[in-house]
Amino acid sequence: MTAATDARLLVLGWNFRTAGEAVRERVAFTADEIREGLQGLVSRGVVSEGVIVSTCHRSEIYGVAGEGDAGAGLTRFVSEWRGLDPAELSGAGFHRVGDDAARHLFRVASGLDSMALGESEVLGQVRQALRLAREAGATRAVLHRLFEWAVAAGKRVRSETEIGVHPLSIPAIGFELAAKVFGDLSERTVLVLGAGETASLFARHAAEAGVSDLRIANRTPERAAELAMRVAGRPVPWETLADELGSADVVVGATASPAPVIRKEHVEPAMRKRRGRPIFFLDLAVPRDIEAEVADVYNVFVHGVNDLQEAAEANRVRRAREVPLAETILEEELGKFLAWFGNLSVVPTLTDLQRRFAAAQEAELARVPEAERERLRRFAEALSARLLHEPLRRLKAETDPGRKLDRVEAIRHVFRLDGDE
Amino acid sequence: MDGHFLGWLAVFLYVAAEALAIVALVGERVPGAAPVALAAGLAVQFADLQAQARVMHSVPYRTLSGSLALFGWMLGVAYLLLWLRHRERSIGPFLIPFVILFSLLAMWLPSPPSAPRPETQGVLFALHVTLAILGYAAFAISFVLSLLYLVQARQIRRARTGLLFSRLPSLEAIGGMNRTAVAIGLSSLVVSTLLGTIWAARYWNGLGDAKLVWAVFTLAVYGLLLWMDRRGWKGQRVALLSIVGFGLVLFSYTVVNLYFSRAHTFR
Repeated sequence: MTAATDARLLVLGWNFRTAGEAVRERVAFTADEIREGLQGLVSRGVVSEGVIVSTCHRSEIYGVAGEGDAGAGLTRFVSEWRGLDPAELSGAGFHRVGDDAARHLFRVASGLDSMALGESEVLGQVRQALRLAREAGATRAVLHRLFEWAVAAGKRVRSETEIGVHPLSIPAIGFELAAKVFGDLSERTVLVLGAGETASLFARHAAEAGVSDLRIANRTPERAAELAMRVAGRPVPWETLADELGSADVVVGATASPAPVIRKEHVEPAMRKRRGRPIFFLDLAVPRDIEAEVADVYNVFVHGVNDLQEAAEANRVRRAREVPLAETILEEELGKFLAWFGNLSVVPTLTDLQRRFAAAQEAELARVPEAERERLRRFAEALSARLLHEPLRRLKAETDPGRKLDRVEAIRHVFRLDGDE
Repeated sequence: MDGHFLGWLAVFLYVAAEALAIVALVGERVPGAAPVALAAGLAVQFADLQAQARVMHSVPYRTLSGSLALFGWMLGVAYLLLWLRHRERSIGPFLIPFVILFSLLAMWLPSPPSAPRPETQGVLFALHVTLAILGYAAFAISFVLSLLYLVQARQIRRARTGLLFSRLPSLEAIGGMNRTAVAIGLSSLVVSTLLGTIWAARYWNGLGDAKLVWAVFTLAVYGLLLWMDRRGWKGQRVALLSIVGFGLVLFSYTVVNLYFSRAHTFR
């Protein structure tokens, strides 16, 4: 279905698929820049409304413009604004108009266009983009509706498919496995060995998952203390590691030690002290932090980085299987949006308005005696025609496409031409 | 009213409950519908059991078919209680088939009309049998939970994070439910065995019955299981022992009853 309005939707963007990091970095916008850019775009008349979505993986400018090559106008604007060569800019970007532009946003909002398929952060980023554009006074009837619709469609995809259910990140999978042993992890003790990049990634994940007792052990105590402070954890001395196993439920090994730091002879007495409660080891270190024989101890679970990577791959496949269902949902929602957008042009609105007046006349005429009905009908028709004449003339005469859309939308709203919403 | 009509209606409702439970597990939809269908089935089957009791002029579980029917019914009741307590819908699809199986067996097996013996009519006897069957139902639930425990432990060890993994509860939760089930089963069976012993002492000379020996043996296995759980042997060994224990229960319920016991032959 193609919108019958004079105004068209369009999007110009650079994302991880089309552009290298060098270009993406230069078209990444801060919140202030987004507001400033949108005001420039609207005041110069490049578009009548605009929204900019800017995340680590994408920068996309959505707009509504009249006939003519608004895409070239947008490219020119960005190249002047960011001081980039227009040819380079358009070579690294993509450009969609009409239904395809709306479809693209729906896919972005639902995570179908994300690098990590089905991720949920993008939904918040789309919502944030709409908020910034409203603050800049750059949205009107169409983009406001488009973005709200895209967010709603994204939510529907999340709740009706499993596209976001199976985790893809290694820490998320590790803690998901641990949670299937212990249930709620927030009441459990997590011990992180090491203070490097991997260790802090897992410590942060544990803190975000609500683990209240988070302990950090490192050969250099200062670094343990430093990481502990960042994640609201507690540093524990490296020398008492064996004792810590008595109370730690999940142990993350991420040190740079050349030899295993946890051995079977540490774990066996710890298990006696724990009265058999399981311990869950995640060994992310290369070479291993947890001796292989530890896995033989009863009620001990050990997972290496390979296990987690395999699970991540399996989950990626599971998410990909949900794509067709997600696309069906998106097309359904997109169809509704496009139907609304298609009605936002002058001709269907005039027809709907005249029909609405005619229906009101008939309802009133049904209540008068039959003998007078014909005479009153002529009167009512004349009155309606006279009342409608001026508004319709003005609507047709409006040349600015943005303002025209606003007026059509206002008329549709006050006369409830789209039914109850 | 024809007792079989009610019986079939109950089976139909159980099958509906199973279907709804599978939908709830796989599609995460209509989570409350399966327990409602199950409860309706249980109510209908209760009416059926009562109708039979009126015809027979005694408790319906005096026959093998009646006792199987009551077993299935108790299993359903026990699961419903577990659901109310834990709201854990994932075990329903694995348990309700047993409710269906026992209700069907009860209807297919002939239940020969025989005049009730006078000693099987007192409260003592009724309590003895009811508690024994409740105990067996609790052990059956423990059996299913233990299988689920082993399945889930295997998924975790192999890092298989698929549908079953995400729908089954944590090992901690399954273990907790299992502990509850075994504790209920054990205490019911202890009281039932005591009552049975008192009853036997009153009506027979001596306690020499194979069933009593077997009951003590079963109690010992489940007692060991709870003790192991406390001592810190929780986990897969407890699950395996529960599976062995249920094997003993089945053996006692079938072979011992039919061939070795003096008083548990449903004659």
